[in-house]
Order: sequence, then C-alpha cells, then structure tokens
Amino acid sequence: MEKKFKIEFTESNVQDSVVYILVAEFNLKPNILKAQIEGDGTGVMLVSIEGEEADMVKAVERLKGIGLLVNELSNHITRNHDKCFSCGACVSICPTNSFTYDPVTWEVHVNTDKCIACGACVNACSVRALSLIL
Amino acid sequence: MTKTYEQINEKIRAKKAVVYTAEEVIDLVKKKGAEKAAEEVDVVTTGTFGAMCSSGAFLNLGHASPPIRMTDIRLNDVEAYGGLAAVDTYIGATALTSDPKGGYGGAHVIEDLIAGKKIHLHAWGPGTDCYVRKDIDTYITLDDINDAYLYNPRNAYQNYSIATNTSDRTYYTYMGKLLPRMKNATFSSAGQLSPLINDPHLETIGMGTKIFFGGGEGYVVWPGTQYKTNVEEVNGVPVGGARTLALIGDMKQMDAKYVRGLDITGYGISMAVGVGVPIPILNADIMRRCAISDEEIFAQLQDYSQPVDRPAMARYSYAQLRSGSIEYEGKKIRTSSMSSYYGAKKVAAELKDWIESKEFTLNQPVLEFPKERTLKGLKERK
Ligand code: SF4
Ligand code: SF4
Repeated sequence: MEKKFKIEFTESNVQDSVVYILVAEFNLKPNILKAQIEGDGTGVMLVSIEGEEADMVKAVERLKGIGLLVNELSNHITRNHDKCFSCGACVSICPTNSFTYDPVTWEVHVNTDKCIACGACVNACSVRALSLIL
Repeated sequence: MTKTYEQINEKIRAKKAVVYTAEEVIDLVKKKGAEKAAEEVDVVTTGTFGAMCSSGAFLNLGHASPPIRMTDIRLNDVEAYGGLAAVDTYIGATALTSDPKGGYGGAHVIEDLIAGKKIHLHAWGPGTDCYVRKDIDTYITLDDINDAYLYNPRNAYQNYSIATNTSDRTYYTYMGKLLPRMKNATFSSAGQLSPLINDPHLETIGMGTKIFFGGGEGYVVWPGTQYKTNVEEVNGVPVGGARTLALIGDMKQMDAKYVRGLDITGYGISMAVGVGVPIPILNADIMRRCAISDEEIFAQLQDYSQPVDRPAMARYSYAQLRSGSIEYEGKKIRTSSMSSYYGAKKVAAELKDWIESKEFTLNQPVLEFPKERTLKGLKERK
C-alpha cells in the first residue's frame, strides 16, 4: 500500500536519516514529494511511502520516537463544491492528474488520493475554490 | 421544407415544439439527415459559460432624502462610474477596489447583488442647489434599487484561440495559468454547444433575439464590440475569434449560479456568465449547421509568452482539445478549458426546458448584423 505523510522536524540533517530509517529498518520505499528547510533548521517534508501497513505503523512510531511530528496526509487539497463552476482551469495544471472531467456531464471531479500537495492548482482557480491544507 | 418563426411559436405556445440541444441534435442529423431532421426539430438550444471582461451592469440606486448627485461612487469599495445622472451608474466587471490586490471587483459586486447580498454604497457629490447633499454611506440590495440590468458590450465570442507558453517561466494570462515549455494549453470556446458556432453567419441571430442570460431572459441588442467577419473558415466556421454579441438582461431575474465573479491570478477580475441562444430550425441548411460537432470545429494554438504577433502554431479540433492532450512537434501538451462545458450544457438544457414548458417563444431579429466587417488597430499619433 501507499500512504502519504507530513513529517515536521527541527534539525536540518534529519531529512536524510528519515529516508535511511524507512528503507533500512522497515523495508519501506519512501518517495520525497516536497521538502522545505528553513534557515533555523526546522522544516517539513511530504513523503509518499510504499510498503506493508504493519511496517508503516512501526516506522511512524519509530520516527515519532526520535522527536519528529508525523501525520498522515489525506484530503489536503480541498475543493469548495459550491464555488467551483467546473471550468477546468485546474485540470491541465495538476502534475498528478488529480482533476478529471466527468465524461458525460463534464463536471470536474477531484481525486484527493492522487494529490501530492504541490500547490500548483490553487492560484489557477479563478473562483478560489481550491485550498491546500498542510 | 421551410418553417416560419410564427409556426414555431404556435407550436411552443401549444407545448408541442420539438427542442434539441446543439449536442443532442448531432446524432439525430447523422442518423436521419438534415432534411428529415429539419422537419422534426423546431428549435436547437445552445449554451456557453465562460469569462468575458467586457461585462457590466447599469444601476439606478434611487434618490435619498435629501438627494445627492453622485459623482464618485463605491460599491463594496469597487469604483462605479460617476458620469451619468444623479443616481445612475455603470459598474464594469473589471473595476477594482481601492486595494487592487483584493481579488474582488465589479464582477463580484454584480454576483453578490444577484445573490441577494447587502452591498455597501459609499458615494460623494459636489453638492449643488438642487442636490445639496455631499455624501452618503449606506447599504443596498438588488430588491431596493429601481433598475439593475446587465449590459455586456461583448459576449459569446465566436471561437477563440488555444493558449500555450513556450518560455521557461509560468505565464499568468486571461487564458489562465500557462506552465513553462508548453506543459499545458487552454481553450475557451464551448465548441459544438457555442451559440455563434451553431449559427456561424448569424442567419437567425440579430437585434432582438430573445436568449437565456445569466439565468433570466435577456436579449441580443447589438453586434458585440470587436465583431469581425474576415476570419478563415473550416467547415463553415471561423478558426479564431470572429463575431460577438452585445447582450442585455434584467438582473432581478438572474441566478448567481450563472453570473460569477472571477479573479484570474496575475491578470485581474473578469466575469463568467451563462448565455444560451435558441436557434429556430427554419430550413435544412440551418439544421445542418446546428449539427456541427467538435470533430469539425477547429482553433489555433498560439504562444501567449509572445507579447505581440502570436502566429498560429498549429490547428486542432475541439474533439482533440477535449481529449485531454494534443501533440505539437512530437510533444504532448495537456489541455483543459477556461470556460465551463458543464455550465454550457446546463444552460442549453435549461433553455430547452423553458421553450418546452414555459412558453419561451422566439423573436425574429429586427436588425441583421453586419455580413462583413474588419477590425482596426489603434494608431498612435503625435
Ligand atoms: S496541489 Fe498539486 S498535486 Fe494536489 S491537486 Fe493541486 S496541482 Fe494536483
Ligand atoms: S479551476 Fe476552480 S472552478 Fe475551475 S474546475 Fe478547477 S476548482 Fe473548479
């Protein structure tokens, strides 16, 4: 299975060890989607992890144990359905094809599972229907 | 076989008119041929729901006591025109608040008015012998004010270009967000559902044509600004922006669902409005033209990172554009629309319902629009 997590850390060197822990200790396949490190050594990274669920649970506990804040990401892109008028301006912007047109009604649908929280769609929407909650 | 407006209207009044949307009629004509279909079908409804900056509303705010001749007018802090009579004004869709980055403009005021919201009116005047008052600070609603009608000098563009960006940075344009190195392309016409694609030479559309406008009844009043006819045609339809319509309609009948304020990042404020035009099937030729499908309608790809002179790079059908991607010199470009095809379908379906069940009859135009017209550029002189 594949899950996405937001990991917040306070020391800038932790990023490498996170990947190492996931791979070496838990046999998981991490894929860093986004990482941001501030000047003061704090930072946040979005990582998609592939592997067995049991291993993931243990890995999350292990990371929390070394002082990292770990949260599973789901529904981080939200679309205000009342505001959206299904124009489609977001459709060709999203790198992971999270938005699709309904082939019959041409309503724009959002598949939040695909979202990697890149943020590119947010300012492409002219009615401000999209927001990214991290 | 030919029909008259009166014959069609009689059937509408008797609730016996046969109405198809411009989408539904494609298959019918394919199956039965235009001659047969023209005998069967009385009206074809079209629809579009996209951005058009050349939009706005005339308002008469009513006189306060003591009265004021307003020369500087703000509605929710958006500037409205102060150069008409004492309490008349025009609010343009693209007008801004005093903080131009607020993301709110004239189009949003119009949407909020139609939605029934309270709007803050702040106005100033010179104070004259007959209008002594110098300022007013109050709230209005659509119900309170005497007149409120949308008057869009340009709407329902007959086709438009496809926008892409060949440069190395993201461009923020009125055609939306264009990613670097042609990662995406946007288009805006409703294609096979678009009003002026289905009656490309305006045989049935002219001054006085009654339409669906923002959820209420409206009228075509004039050729839209920048109306032109000298655009190359493929399958009888121009491959780029050509004819346009000026439209009018009572805001008190409208539905905010079909009149939307847009804040297009990096560009500014615009307005999307749902427009549906009914086309009377007077003969088989009109029927044939209404049956045009996305495979037969073409638009041209242009590079919006070029500030001037954007030559056509390639030509694609709306069927290709709607497939989600096009190919240019071996490269796949993802495509999506700026106008809502979902909305366009709703407009055409609702107009169909009005004709079938609400005795929405068709008007014969009182004035035909120009058969030939070219555009002038702006010459700069000393
Ligand atoms: S945030 Fe990025 S990945 Fe998520 S839906 Fe928007 S464009 Fe797609
Ligand atoms: S850009 Fe905004 S309004 Fe248009 S389809 Fe996407 S979410 Fe909806």
